[in-house]
Amino acid sequence: MYPHAWLILILPMLGFIFLSWYGKRVSKTVAGFIGCATIGVAFLITLTLLAGLLISDPAERVGNVQVAYSWLNMQTFHLDLAILVDPLSVFMLLVITGVGFLIHVYSVGYMSEDPEYARFFSYMNFFIFSMSLLVLAADFFFLIVGWAMVGLASYLLIGFWTHKTSAVLAARKAFVMNVIGDVGMVIAAFMIYDHFGSISYAEVFSAAPAKFMANDVDILLITLFLLVGAFAKSAQIPLHTWLPDAMEGPTPVSALIHAATMVTAGVYLIARCNVLYMLAPYTLFLIASVGVLTALFAGAMGMVQYDIKRVIAYSTMSQLGYMFLAVGVGVFSVGMFHLMTHAFFKALLFLGAGSVIHSLHEEQDIRKMGGLARPMPITFATFLIASLALTAFPLTAGFYSKDAIIMHSYFSEYGNFVFWGLALLGAGMTGFYTFRLFFYTFLGKSRSPEAHPHESPWVMVVPLMILAFLSLFAGHLAGWVNEFLAPVFGGHVPHAPHDSIMEATAITVSLLGIVSAIGLYLTGKNQLEFVKTVGAPLYDLMLNKFYIDELYNFFITKPMRVIGKFFEQRAEREGIDFAIDMVGDQVREVSRQISVLQSGKVRWYAFNTVAGLILVLVFVIFL
Amino acid sequence: MGTTFILFLSASIFSIGAIGFLIRKNPLVMFMCVELMLNAVNLVLVAYSKFLQSMDGQVFALIIMTVAAAEVVVGLAIILTIFRTRHELNVDHIDVLKG
Amino acid sequence: MFETLEKYWNDGLEPTMVFELFNQGLTLGVGMTAILAALGVVVCSSPIYSALYLIGHMVCLALLFLLYNAEFIAAVQVVVYAGAVMILFLFIIALLGAKKEELKLTDITLERFIAVSFVGTLFCELLMTLAVGETKPVTGAMTPEVLQQVGSAKAIGLTLFSKHLIPFELASILLLVATVGVICLAKFQVKPIRRRTR
Repeated sequence: MYPHAWLILILPMLGFIFLSWYGKRVSKTVAGFIGCATIGVAFLITLTLLAGLLISDPAERVGNVQVAYSWLNMQTFHLDLAILVDPLSVFMLLVITGVGFLIHVYSVGYMSEDPEYARFFSYMNFFIFSMSLLVLAADFFFLIVGWAMVGLASYLLIGFWTHKTSAVLAARKAFVMNVIGDVGMVIAAFMIYDHFGSISYAEVFSAAPAKFMANDVDILLITLFLLVGAFAKSAQIPLHTWLPDAMEGPTPVSALIHAATMVTAGVYLIARCNVLYMLAPYTLFLIASVGVLTALFAGAMGMVQYDIKRVIAYSTMSQLGYMFLAVGVGVFSVGMFHLMTHAFFKALLFLGAGSVIHSLHEEQDIRKMGGLARPMPITFATFLIASLALTAFPLTAGFYSKDAIIMHSYFSEYGNFVFWGLALLGAGMTGFYTFRLFFYTFLGKSRSPEAHPHESPWVMVVPLMILAFLSLFAGHLAGWVNEFLAPVFGGHVPHAPHDSIMEATAITVSLLGIVSAIGLYLTGKNQLEFVKTVGAPLYDLMLNKFYIDELYNFFITKPMRVIGKFFEQRAEREGIDFAIDMVGDQVREVSRQISVLQSGKVRWYAFNTVAGLILVLVFVIFL
Repeated sequence: MGTTFILFLSASIFSIGAIGFLIRKNPLVMFMCVELMLNAVNLVLVAYSKFLQSMDGQVFALIIMTVAAAEVVVGLAIILTIFRTRHELNVDHIDVLKG
Repeated sequence: MFETLEKYWNDGLEPTMVFELFNQGLTLGVGMTAILAALGVVVCSSPIYSALYLIGHMVCLALLFLLYNAEFIAAVQVVVYAGAVMILFLFIIALLGAKKEELKLTDITLERFIAVSFVGTLFCELLMTLAVGETKPVTGAMTPEVLQQVGSAKAIGLTLFSKHLIPFELASILLLVATVGVICLAKFQVKPIRRRTR
């Protein structure tokens, strides 16, 4: 029914192949044009898919599997090369290709000075391809393929500036963390195949409700292993340490991969497997708890960082925590809606930060910024809009989505008061760190007088304006998203009952965060120092990211090193190497003695041949 | 004449070729001795083609001739090259390829 | 042969038998000549004589092939072997100079002793295979009558292009490889090899 959906995969792949082969030979203009055009066309195709879904009957919107061909056909296992076009995947594709296109256009300006321009765009196209594969997959196999390939794309792009050691280390860290998730996913897929005899979504999800009681051990294990993948990809506690480090990559990468699309794959996964997760309320509770804890801790860590991109990265983690909270309390479409609005304003924040970094010549420390509002008015305005949306200021997009999550965390079937309270606290923190960042960057006096900031070129500013528009007004799509995604999630999410006191509390807490930021950072230094002294232990803890990297280092890396060293010495050097060296030495010694036989004289060889012939004939005749 | 005679003839020619190959030092003559041995085999193949009333033997004789022709051509080219570089032709002196 | 003679002695002579007798005598004679020619190849100290003896040997074999109803192979033997290949040999000998080899057959060196004893053993072993006796003629598809009708060349062609097509193609590839190899050997100058001292 939607065969042209394949083009969404094919176009970025073609762009990737072309740019990797011919990228060095074509001019930057051509490379940038190809990089953007493939994604732009993919976005247009996604729009046609959306139109196709909207005009069809709601009941026919799900389960449109496009089979290219039967990829593997065994007696007990069948695998099609197929993609699934349904509201959820099209919704994700809209975000991926839409925001992806804007970020590509932005990159044309941002990366214009970079010598390896074409390589950047080829990787970006590869990422869009992988991400589209991830969301379009019609079975767990291609889901995992896409899952691993976005990890690869993320690795390549974080380490894009290969001359930066920190970037390469961060890329490695991200890759290792993601592989932990991949392993979890693969185990989950094996278990699903073991139980259902198939790994296609359609068969698994239709068979699951009849096969499992709620909270069966098996379904709990399956969902938990899937969750490992989701947590690793979406940087939830305890697998979150890679995301802040991933900010070593170029800023458009942070915007596209580490804010708007890839890191939300975990939320997508849970939403996609909603049938399985609804059968496992314990897992849902775990998801919601981890989500809300991540929202809190990430917010706390973000409050004290000084690197502009890291602050935004922590806020990304925090917002992902909200999304997990939403899917964890069973309101999937609310989570997906927050995913969308978050993609808009977080991409906007990152791109704005990129614009700032660009104009300050790769300066990322917010203590050296300030007073940028005047030289960069558009960036200033759009950044303000994004910040307001992020803090859920009333009437922005973030308000509709985040407020819905906070309300549902109490009123939903799986919600409770603790989730609500913690989510509220996180919202307060969001207000604080967002505006702390904003004040540091744009207000006050310039702290590095030698810099001459200037507004970015139009190719970078226009995407900012489009995203700002979306961040302001996308909130009105809330009802439509709920309606559109309902067939996938088996029904509408009921509106949370209006409780004006709770809503007012939520808004107040957000505003309180903003106000406290104003109080600490706009009125003078004294209060700030006072707060730092009073909360010294807590401040220390937050500044050092709760020592989680150090914990990993101490409990995992160090013992591994010690064990590795031991085995290197005892097993490798004295065991394996020694044995192999012995074998090699002996062989060499024996061959040295045997090599006398190879005298180089032809007639000597002929003698040997005749002797061999005699022996063969002896065998033939006498035996 | 029966097979016994042919086998005897072939064995004799083969052995003469083998002796020649072993005792002669001129690579050209050694090649000729190889030809002798190949011909001995051809003889058996053709004779048995008649006894077994099947053409397979003759076909294989033909293929052996092909192999022999190819071998002679390459071998002679190698001998020529060796002669060009060393200006002598004694197989006992050509022993660079030793272990 | 002698059994046949005995039979003739007993039964009296008939024209076909005369022909057969002649045939067998010819086989014997040509075979012995072939052996002598082969010996000549080995014992002549001058390569040019060796080559001439080899040509004689090949002609003898061609005759034997004729006697065994293999006209096509006989023709190929004469044209390709005795013709082309041996001419090539003679050219090379002419090119390199027909140096005589020091070859005193009366000297019995250790090397020669080993060679003769080895090959003697080999020869004895080959003769032992004769102990199984005369191979009985088998009736196959290619009886002399059929062969007479079809012709030797056509019969070979029929088998070669149907049953033995793959060996045939492989042989053609072999020839191609040999051609390329010879061109390479002839074209590229090889630097004189200096002996490695160790």
